[in-house]
Amino acid sequence: MAAVAHIAQPRAAAPSSSKTESYVDNKRREDVRMANIQAARAVADAVRTSLGPKGMDKMIASASGEVVITNDGATILNKMEVLQPAAKMLVDLSRSQDAAAGDGTTTVVVLAGALLGACQGLLTRGIHPTTISDAIHKSCAKAVDILQAMAVPLELTDRESLIKSAATSLNSKVVSQYSSLLAPLAVDAVLSVVDPARPDLVDLRDIKIVKKLGGTVDDTELVKGLVFDKKVSHSAGGPSRMENAKIAVIQFQISPPKTDIEQSIVVSDYSQMDRILKEERNYILGIIKKIRATGCNVLLIQKSILRDAVTDLSLHYLAKAKILVIKDVERDEIEFITKTLNCLPIANIEHFREEKLGFADCVEEVSVGEGKIVKIMGIKDMGRTTTVVVRGSNQLVIDEAERSLHDALCVVRCLVNKKFLIAGGGAPEIELSRQLGAWAKELTGMESYCVKEFAEALEVIPYTLAENAGLNPIAIVTELRNKHAQGEINAGINVRKGQITNILEENVVQPLLVSTSAVTLATECVRMMLKIDDIVTVR
Amino acid sequence: MAIERLLKDEATEEKGERARMASFIGAMAIADLVKTTLGPKGMDKILQSTDRGRSLTVTNDGATILKSLHIDNPAAKVLVDISKVQDDEVGDGTTSVVVLAGELLREAEKLTMAKIHPMTIIAGYRMAAECARNALLQRTMDNKQDPEKFREDLMKIAITTLSSKILSQDKEHFAKLAVDAVMRLKGSTNLEAIQIIKKAGGSLSDSFLDEGFILDKKIGIGQPKRIENAKILVANTAMDTDKVKIYGARVRVDSMAKVAQIEAAEKEKMREKVQKIVAHGINCFVNRQLIYNFPEELFADAGILAIEHADFDGIERLALVTGGEIASTFDNPESVKLGHCKLIEEIMIGEDKLIHFSGVEMGQACTIVLRGASSHVLDEAERSLHDALCVLSQTVNDTRVLFGGGWPEMVMARQVDELARRTPGKKSHAIEAFSRALQIIPTIIAGNAGLDSAELISQLRAEHHKENSKAGIDVITGNVGDMEKLGISESFKVKQAVLLSATEAAEMILRVDEIITCAPRKREDRM
Repeated sequence: MAAVAHIAQPRAAAPSSSKTESYVDNKRREDVRMANIQAARAVADAVRTSLGPKGMDKMIASASGEVVITNDGATILNKMEVLQPAAKMLVDLSRSQDAAAGDGTTTVVVLAGALLGACQGLLTRGIHPTTISDAIHKSCAKAVDILQAMAVPLELTDRESLIKSAATSLNSKVVSQYSSLLAPLAVDAVLSVVDPARPDLVDLRDIKIVKKLGGTVDDTELVKGLVFDKKVSHSAGGPSRMENAKIAVIQFQISPPKTDIEQSIVVSDYSQMDRILKEERNYILGIIKKIRATGCNVLLIQKSILRDAVTDLSLHYLAKAKILVIKDVERDEIEFITKTLNCLPIANIEHFREEKLGFADCVEEVSVGEGKIVKIMGIKDMGRTTTVVVRGSNQLVIDEAERSLHDALCVVRCLVNKKFLIAGGGAPEIELSRQLGAWAKELTGMESYCVKEFAEALEVIPYTLAENAGLNPIAIVTELRNKHAQGEINAGINVRKGQITNILEENVVQPLLVSTSAVTLATECVRMMLKIDDIVTVR
Repeated sequence: MAIERLLKDEATEEKGERARMASFIGAMAIADLVKTTLGPKGMDKILQSTDRGRSLTVTNDGATILKSLHIDNPAAKVLVDISKVQDDEVGDGTTSVVVLAGELLREAEKLTMAKIHPMTIIAGYRMAAECARNALLQRTMDNKQDPEKFREDLMKIAITTLSSKILSQDKEHFAKLAVDAVMRLKGSTNLEAIQIIKKAGGSLSDSFLDEGFILDKKIGIGQPKRIENAKILVANTAMDTDKVKIYGARVRVDSMAKVAQIEAAEKEKMREKVQKIVAHGINCFVNRQLIYNFPEELFADAGILAIEHADFDGIERLALVTGGEIASTFDNPESVKLGHCKLIEEIMIGEDKLIHFSGVEMGQACTIVLRGASSHVLDEAERSLHDALCVLSQTVNDTRVLFGGGWPEMVMARQVDELARRTPGKKSHAIEAFSRALQIIPTIIAGNAGLDSAELISQLRAEHHKENSKAGIDVITGNVGDMEKLGISESFKVKQAVLLSATEAAEMILRVDEIITCAPRKREDRM
């Protein structure tokens, strides 16, 4: 009611002016729009310094006292917990970029911030928001065309190029010194899960990342097989290494029976106690005998919330039967495991048959750093999955390495989806800016003006790259512009050398999809923000 | 005062002039709130919820904005209600109806100040509305006989509806999607058969129409991923554990073996149930509830594709489109209607795997997959598309079409003006006022686009003084333009609904001369 009354008061006071009122109270609406733009720009400024190979990291202390150090735009924004609606939209924007391309999450936010800055200028000159919105949409479509024209096609067999682009993505991260190791690893991981029947699809869920503390990032390895971040349950002296493994994934429990209906065992005298204990033993022994009969020697047991998956007693018998046991496998991992092992999950002891088992050369427990992991190697008829074990000296490094690796995997995936590469190092942005600027001159009216601003806003990427690298941004950007005007469309900022070079020769490349999706998503977000003229609080 | 004692403590009463003023103000405030969203250059609003999640909605849809407002003013509530009704009935024009009602009340307010009795105003409004409706009826176009032209009409209507929404940039694409989807329905207004799936990622123009049905679920492990000529049993039954539901039932046994027996018996019950289901001769089983590991394995063994935990909406729609029935008991296989479809397969959209049913029994069914940058974009796109679908499906039944861009309002205004001149008595003031209120709509559309509305409207009025004018506001160039050439059309049904419900709502509010607010219920725990 408060809001309604608030709007209603001035109107009631001057009812006679109703004929022309569509021109009156624009003040508040402008304010709302400006406030939104300012909030969004503030968010963009917060992540701006983390752009590029020499970008800085952010340390974020969450409410629960957990500390995260990261360079990944999406992660920074996710942890920021912003409340202002427009700022929230930018957070969503980086999340969308993360979903669409996986990389360029900082770029997209910085770009949106710059575009909003340009819009702010246009708005103060009294250009109608929808006019701006239409113009930048047109510019965006044009920009995508230009990018596509710049792109270089790529074959998936060209492993070198794939590695280069993964390396470009990794270079801006904490783990950049390991990019020579991680980049080929990411490429191999993605290529190994590509299904030849559907070459355009990569499901990153087929790549499992296991994090293990200890060692350095150098020790990160790609495992052709399956890795569990768990110990083998050998408290009762069971084996911890098994060759020629026959593996069963079971979804039932090897523990005393429990019914859904409420039950209790009535013991009336103490001789019965012995009998019950014996029966329990027999019951478990019966299950294990059936398992043993199929020749199975490795058991993966799904976690159960209803009862213990294994008891000390059953572990003891399993150890005697020389069966290696890994317990507490999560239910949602089952699909991945069965796919990898090429076996079927078994939900009932009666269905325990040999054809449902998976086979592997070797299952062993390996100690890694302080902890232990279980590796399953040499899987027969292995499914198209792969596992990466990420190592690092502390938890923060591991987490950041995982995020970086995820970005690199996404980059490779983008290339699989859309087989085009584009130069990095600010080259595409400056070229866009130049061509759009030229295009603006062919247009007339407001549109031309807006396109020009759009073109100029794109320069923020090379500008920020140079700034973060400690170079003189103005000198670099103008030189870059000059080079591009002379037709060197692949000239970009070489941050390592601190000068302008042909960036394609420097192997700084990125997937086309990352660039196009950054431009389109940023534009879409800015347009949405422009159209908002009020914030209404609702239930 | 004596009357105070009639009512409970804290109950309030407003009378006569004050009551009317209160309802006018409330209604106009609501109309003013949404009027900036009107027209192709209308603006959006952020709706920020006050709950813990502080979730956001960005929308241009009048009904959505109004639905979520906190409102205390009874008259304002009436306006919210008519926009809701408009949404349910025809789907579009939810903002227009509120704005028109608001303007009618604004005019009425001036008349009451001039000491014209509300009943006289109401009578005038009624005459005017009738006259306006007739004016529209005379000018409708109907291309029912010519399917090709009719399709063109539909496209135009869809484009006009969409141009005021977030989808405006890709309006041709979406108009085509919407028209294709509605044409598949073959005249039925059952929008249930059109499923809209939202998947973040990609851009809006990546959205597509897919014949068949898509379920956002996974196929169980170890089961076939592709089935041809599927026979589908749709069910809502507990498959995780079949509890013996006797309250307080409790089994006492004296040995572990017996516990094991009970467990085995329970498993056996489960197996029986699965066997009963399998006995239906199906090769696909979709359950609303969880299918746990054990039955899943049994299904896998029987070579049946089992989908667990499908949402309620999905289940009902799946049953509808495949021609099956939702079953929950499985004792009589012959009495259960199975669903059929030609092919079930797993597809990937963006990063997610979904299950695609194609060649379904109900040929009308189709799915529109929306792609977009963020969840806000997707939600708003869904609302916009829903509006377009509603309007189109209504138009398929009532094929009369009008021009858009303020044209109908001007046509009505002109006729109503003439009526005012013919009518003797005070009523003519009200009729004139009605005409003014109608003209406000194009004024607002122009105003939202940042154009000189006063100038444009006077031009438009002059243009409409000629017979059979097709002039309307061309927002893009900012001039008066020919609506036929620009291809801007609207559905007659929507316009008629806007006109009639707005008049009715205004009439209802005008009749009020006393507001009694009941005492709020005491909330002692919070005080």
